[in-house]
Amino acid sequence: MKDVKAEARDEGEEVGCDCDCGGGGDVGLRILVVDDSPVDRKIVERLLKKREGDFEVITVDSGKKAMDILGLNEGETTQNATNDQKIDIILTDYCMPEMTGYDLLKAVKEHNFPKNIPVFVMSSENDPQRISRCRANGAEDFILKPLRANDIQRLRSYAIKTASTPIAGSKRKLQLDPVTENGSSERRPRLAGVVA
Amino acid sequence: MAVFQLQQQWVDLISALFREEFLDSQFTQLQQLQDESNPDFVVEVVTLFFEDSERLLNDLCSTLHQRVVDFKKADAHVHQLKGSSASIGAQRVKNVCVSFRNCCEEGNLEGCLACLQQVKHEYTLLKSKLEALFALEQQIVAAGGSLPTM
Repeated sequence: MKDVKAEARDEGEEVGCDCDCGGGGDVGLRILVVDDSPVDRKIVERLLKKREGDFEVITVDSGKKAMDILGLNEGETTQNATNDQKIDIILTDYCMPEMTGYDLLKAVKEHNFPKNIPVFVMSSENDPQRISRCRANGAEDFILKPLRANDIQRLRSYAIKTASTPIAGSKRKLQLDPVTENGSSERRPRLAGVVA
Repeated sequence: MAVFQLQQQWVDLISALFREEFLDSQFTQLQQLQDESNPDFVVEVVTLFFEDSERLLNDLCSTLHQRVVDFKKADAHVHQLKGSSASIGAQRVKNVCVSFRNCCEEGNLEGCLACLQQVKHEYTLLKSKLEALFALEQQIVAAGGSLPTM
């Protein structure tokens, strides 16, 4: 574990978090999950962490808390949206009290983050108007609930393809790996000498 | 009782749950997310579902017994219950929620109250069956066995 972290730090990647996520592994894309349902939060988090190393998961139960994490608090100017927690992807539920996923999507897209943060919207309602409204406001994709393993696969493929981090070489290698569902804590070995 | 017999009981119980449509394939998804590193995942998620559902059912009861019924509020509660029951594969509970939402949308109080009774009934049934399933699982593990993979 220490070696992986040291290697990652050498390549300029931010690792190290207090959450129980296995160390942020090989790809270590940081995903912010926003959902007011505790049942759904738990399931989505597990789906995302099933393959170790893919995602570092942060979950919140409201749009407001998501805004806090992204540095989009009320009262701060839009220029200050710095995304200090370096969120790479946002996965948000549509129907939430007070601030919907749609409101959150618009708020995220209205601000100029240093790097574009793709927003995926999930919903139990297969409503074409809702879907096109989300897409029109910049949502990368719309995922129907309940989420399944192949939805996460889609998310992962998208993230690998478009996320711009220094370890592009490792990501390409990951795409060719067969999917292993054994859930073991054995780390996948990194290729020596694979640097962007 | 021998481990084998306990395991057989477990298979029979869970097969019945699927056959009688208490559970659907989403529950299987949850089982597939359970492994040596997350051995209690299904119990943990279902426990969250029980807590969440009981809260929602209490809120629904209260909302539908106000002097002036707020059907939008009731609908919001049912929507949440429908969502979480779908997420764990609680098929019968989810199906009642679909009818329940229609009654809320129509402002049909009598229909809503009937749906509330029905959803409580389905929920209570499911809860007792799942608790029996989990008790069996504990017995199997305590006897040194493992859960059959579906």
